[in-house]
Amino acid sequence: MKQKDSKREDNTVFVGIDLGTSRSSISASNNTREWIESYVGWPKDFIALQVVGKPVLFGAEALKNRLSLDLCRPLEHGVIKEGIERSEEAVKEIIKYLIELAKPEPDQKIHAVVGVPADTLKVNKLAIRKAVSEFVHSLMVVSEPFAVAYGMDLLNNSLVIDIGAGTTDFCIMHGTIPSEEDQKTILAAGDYIDEQLYSYLTERYPNAKFNKNMVRQFKEQHSFVREVPGEVRVEIPVDGKPVMHDITNEIRRACESILPAIVETTTEMIARFDPEFQVKIKNNIVLAGGGSLIKGIREYLQDALKEYGSCRVTCVEDPLFAGSNGALKLAEDMPAKYWETL
Amino acid sequence: MIMLSAFPKKKELRIRQTILRGVYEDNLRIIGKGSAVLSNRPSFSLKKISLFISTVLLALLGYGNYSDLSLSPDKQIAPLSIAAQQLSPLPAETSVHPSEYAAFFGGQAHLKRVFGLAVKTIMIDPGHGGADSGTVGKLGTREKDITLDIAKRLKERLKKQGYSNVLLTREEDITLPLNKRVELANSGRADLFISIHLNYLPSKPINIIETYYFGPSSDAKTLKLAEQENAGSHYGLSDFKEIIEKIGETVKLQESRELAGSIQQHLFVNSLKQNGNVQDFGVKRAPFVVLLGVNVPAVLAEVSCLSNREEEVELNTESHRENIARYLEAGILHYLSKGEVRYEAKRLEEGR
Ligand SMILES: Nc1ncnc2c1ncn2[C@@H]1O[C@H](COP(=O)(O)OP(=O)(O)OP(=O)(O)O)[C@@H](O)[C@H]1O
Ligand SMILES: [Mg+2]
Ligand SMILES: [Zn+2]
Repeated sequence: MKQKDSKREDNTVFVGIDLGTSRSSISASNNTREWIESYVGWPKDFIALQVVGKPVLFGAEALKNRLSLDLCRPLEHGVIKEGIERSEEAVKEIIKYLIELAKPEPDQKIHAVVGVPADTLKVNKLAIRKAVSEFVHSLMVVSEPFAVAYGMDLLNNSLVIDIGAGTTDFCIMHGTIPSEEDQKTILAAGDYIDEQLYSYLTERYPNAKFNKNMVRQFKEQHSFVREVPGEVRVEIPVDGKPVMHDITNEIRRACESILPAIVETTTEMIARFDPEFQVKIKNNIVLAGGGSLIKGIREYLQDALKEYGSCRVTCVEDPLFAGSNGALKLAEDMPAKYWETL
Repeated sequence: MIMLSAFPKKKELRIRQTILRGVYEDNLRIIGKGSAVLSNRPSFSLKKISLFISTVLLALLGYGNYSDLSLSPDKQIAPLSIAAQQLSPLPAETSVHPSEYAAFFGGQAHLKRVFGLAVKTIMIDPGHGGADSGTVGKLGTREKDITLDIAKRLKERLKKQGYSNVLLTREEDITLPLNKRVELANSGRADLFISIHLNYLPSKPINIIETYYFGPSSDAKTLKLAEQENAGSHYGLSDFKEIIEKIGETVKLQESRELAGSIQQHLFVNSLKQNGNVQDFGVKRAPFVVLLGVNVPAVLAEVSCLSNREEEVELNTESHRENIARYLEAGILHYLSKGEVRYEAKRLEEGR
């Protein structure tokens, strides 16, 4: 299924891009892999421009300078929205920047497959295409969980659950490109865990001084569900002095808070298929996205779903690049004639 | 992790083809084509994009980027003789000393010469306005009213001199944030920017004149003044440290200093004829927001002093305000004519 030979000779670079709510990544056929946080910031005014020294900033750097910037997280809540032009502009900047990071040769053609959250794709297909097309020669957009599935060779009888920041996306594969009914998006995801953890900690330690960013870091360092792997203690300032706090239970409660919705959605989606197919899907469930890094989440879901018969859940190996790697694979496998018209 | 290994290869191939075709057709539908069409989008190389970006960047960052142009020795022109010695010593430590006047009155390349452009648009910025009165004298005279009146008079005078495009940042008593003033200057394609203010010295009964351009200052009084004039801009003085270092010695700064020197000289020398008690505090650097943001030579003149009672009375007379406008006009014209002279000189030289 590789037609690379005929395509490579006309000097084309293939790129797969995962345009995420919180992180975006690019994988290119020249072997570059890069990622940024999906924040774009423009200096608020001429003075801010002098302060930050450049007309547009990305990711961590944009966050650091947020007081001087109009910040935009373009796909927040799944769609290109609000000051629609702003979001579109932000998507453009992210794409342009990612492609620069992939360092294509100046005379190389760029053929790109871009994976976007399933909900975004439903509503804003054309907008996304418009935002990206300026920077590439040929372009296809696909849903993110589908790109993950394709990259993992999960073409048939499988379910991908992509637990991201803003959303958890479900995608059932049955040998064709998934239709809208094969995909579902819920808001139980990383950001939701952060909010829960923040409120639990505020409740238990009213005098401790912490912010959303610290809370997310606590989560990413210590996330777990089910059995306690050991006491989780973190340093949080109280009255300006660092004090150790036990957050074991709060971490677990927050991480587990997204699980009932995920279990429910999974069983609902599978139930629509005939029993034979159901069994196959249930033995081929794959977790992707940053949320799949939560310790014990795979076992938790597998056990919860076992109530309805045998079940096997696995995790992707590289959640940060699973989406862009899958998109790259799509791009490389795509017959050359398809690229001509897009 | 490859779960399809049990499938016959052929079947997998077929599925893959179906899926790829599906992706393709789906994207055709998105662009509103059920069947194949040819793309008419021109190819767009990254080079072009980055060229475009850097052009925009240059435009945004302004003339500062060309600083090295002005420094090449063959572009320098003999300094004009300026009666710098007429000026009295300058007290504040951040001020420019008389010996330095010659350096910035001559020497450096003029923007106009560098770019071959004439000064077409002059933007005058009457300080404060609306909810922000600026300083208020003991008799109730408000800085915002005086600066607006002087600005309007200056505008009329410059127009009579043939500068048809003189703009004010505000024509009325309205609140106008500093950022907005900067934007007006930049969007109005101003070639020069002059902000007019009145000083206030609570502890001293003196009347002073001083003119500023953007730059670092270590003088506590100057920093206090900058803090006052920057109020409402969301920027603290600490924000400027880095920028000041970055900006360095640009054409914009050199020209601003020259314009400030010319305005200060004319304001002071002429004011002194009217009022023997006025003191020359000279040309200084200060981190004023308005001066930083504007891309072209920009100065802020504290043309008079509201804390001085006699001066406050004077400021309420039309003739005094007209005089101040006249001195400002002279300072601006002098600055412009020097550019002219040097430009002409250069042209003649080249013509030979
Ligand atoms: N070790 C970890 N444990 C728990 N959560 C984690 C861990 N590492 C990252 N995350 C969370 O994963 C989320 C980011 O995942 P991912 O990069 O897949 O999101 P995204 O693709 O940008 O979002 P979306 O899919 O909603 O568009 C964040 O909420 C982050 O805090
Ligand atoms: Mg994602
Ligand atoms: Zn003032």
